[in-house]
Amino acid sequence: MKPQDEVQLVSGLLDLPILDKDHRYCGIVDDLEFEQVDGMLRVKALLVGPGAYRGRLPGWAFWLVRRIAGERISRVPWDAIAEIGSAAVLNVAAETCGLHRTEDRVRRLIPHRGAM
Amino acid sequence: MNPLELTLGILTAVGGFVDISELVFAAQAGSSYGYALIWVFAFATIGIMVMGEMSGRIAAVAKQPVFNLIRHRLGLKLGLVTLVASLISNLITCAAEVGGAAIVLHLLTGAPIMLMAVVMTAVVIASIWVLPFKWIERTYGLLGLFMIVFAVALVKINPPWGEIAKGLVPQVPAGLSTQELLRFAYFGVAIVSAVMFPYEVYFYSSGGIEEDWGPKDLPLNRVTCIVGFALGSLLAISILSSSAQLFAPLNMDPQLPGSAVLEVELPMGRLGLLLALLGILFAVAGAAIETCLANAYSVAQFFGWEWGRHKKPWEAPRFTLVWIALFLLALAIVLTGIDVMKLVEFAVLFSVLVLPLTYLPLLLLASDRHFMQEHRNGVLANGLGWFYFVVIIVAAAAAIPLFLLTSGGQG
Repeated sequence: MKPQDEVQLVSGLLDLPILDKDHRYCGIVDDLEFEQVDGMLRVKALLVGPGAYRGRLPGWAFWLVRRIAGERISRVPWDAIAEIGSAAVLNVAAETCGLHRTEDRVRRLIPHRGAM
Repeated sequence: MNPLELTLGILTAVGGFVDISELVFAAQAGSSYGYALIWVFAFATIGIMVMGEMSGRIAAVAKQPVFNLIRHRLGLKLGLVTLVASLISNLITCAAEVGGAAIVLHLLTGAPIMLMAVVMTAVVIASIWVLPFKWIERTYGLLGLFMIVFAVALVKINPPWGEIAKGLVPQVPAGLSTQELLRFAYFGVAIVSAVMFPYEVYFYSSGGIEEDWGPKDLPLNRVTCIVGFALGSLLAISILSSSAQLFAPLNMDPQLPGSAVLEVELPMGRLGLLLALLGILFAVAGAAIETCLANAYSVAQFFGWEWGRHKKPWEAPRFTLVWIALFLLALAIVLTGIDVMKLVEFAVLFSVLVLPLTYLPLLLLASDRHFMQEHRNGVLANGLGWFYFVVIIVAAAAAIPLFLLTSGGQG
């Protein structure tokens, strides 16, 4: 399914995994951001990151998430989406949308040797 | 289908089928109730065949493992509940497997169990770090085939085959007191839980992605699930039957993982004993790896991180940290000195509670026209799937009352 097609936002997009153009996992569609255009609501961006859990979790659970993982949110513009199926596939690299940062940071902590 | 891939897939499924809980409950079921619980093993094996096949099919067609899609189907809140519940259940199971392997190493070497738990954890962490997914799965699965010695030992003692065959018919032994009936029911629920552990579908479906399955691999998936799990279940039934034949007349209760190897030593001597211990060691170590990786898969997939051991550990760094941390946590649980048999009991109890949360999204996804297209569930898969879902709901509802009423199967 292309982003221009009719998309059921909750059943078809929310909580889907996101893959970048190189098919690297780079988050989950944690929430959606809308904008008003000519009196109509349109999806502006996918919201990715623990900060987007606000309003989706009970207050105490969000407090816990915020203590553990922070409140970071990355915005993936709607026009960066190439396809929507069992994952939302981007037409850009994860880094251009501010994704994959924690992954890259943790990678530096892991020894790069010894594996077949 | 590549015949070599198929054979290796089946053998790996056979060698990886039995874990510490099945070993313990099969031996205890045989010594307590003769052949009367064989049908529960057969019944639960059909259940894991149905659910395993679905999870592999979803991985091959939707190209996403089960936990990636669980959150999409259940939503963030219920998905998070499922994640936390399965993490706890798999962690306890992993600790039970580590403890069980440590006991077997202790029997083989005479070294202290706690030291062996540390050695065992170090070896499995090193092997996951060094070996790619296929090698990990094949190494432990194929070495677990030493467990076939249990089937050979059963043939050697020439059991009453007619009685064993009758055990396949659903039954409740006559003349049991109420307390004994409750204990029989507890064993039934525990066997269903041990055969259908939630980690198995998480690991199996993620393994399909690790091995880059596509729709062309659907026949391989189906044959591996049906033939591999059926043959693996025969090993568990062999353990139960030998126990019924050898331990029941002596009123022996083989509670420790090491007790079951006497089933092999009696007819086959020291060589049989050694092969049985090695078989249990590799099967249980393999199960420890599966439970730990299943947990790491679940966390990484729930949050959309890079994952998989087809990648180098530093290419999926958060996934790597999670599986190492979980192994160390499982080791820490064992090092507290908690009785391994208690861990086994808690593992089956928690797992049966998580089973409905695991299998509901699986059934919904496998029937989903949008994701699965022409490969979605047919009438048979749907019928069997929903039937087993009702069974596990009943088992989950009965688990805690039965556990309390029988003091964890002690009677």
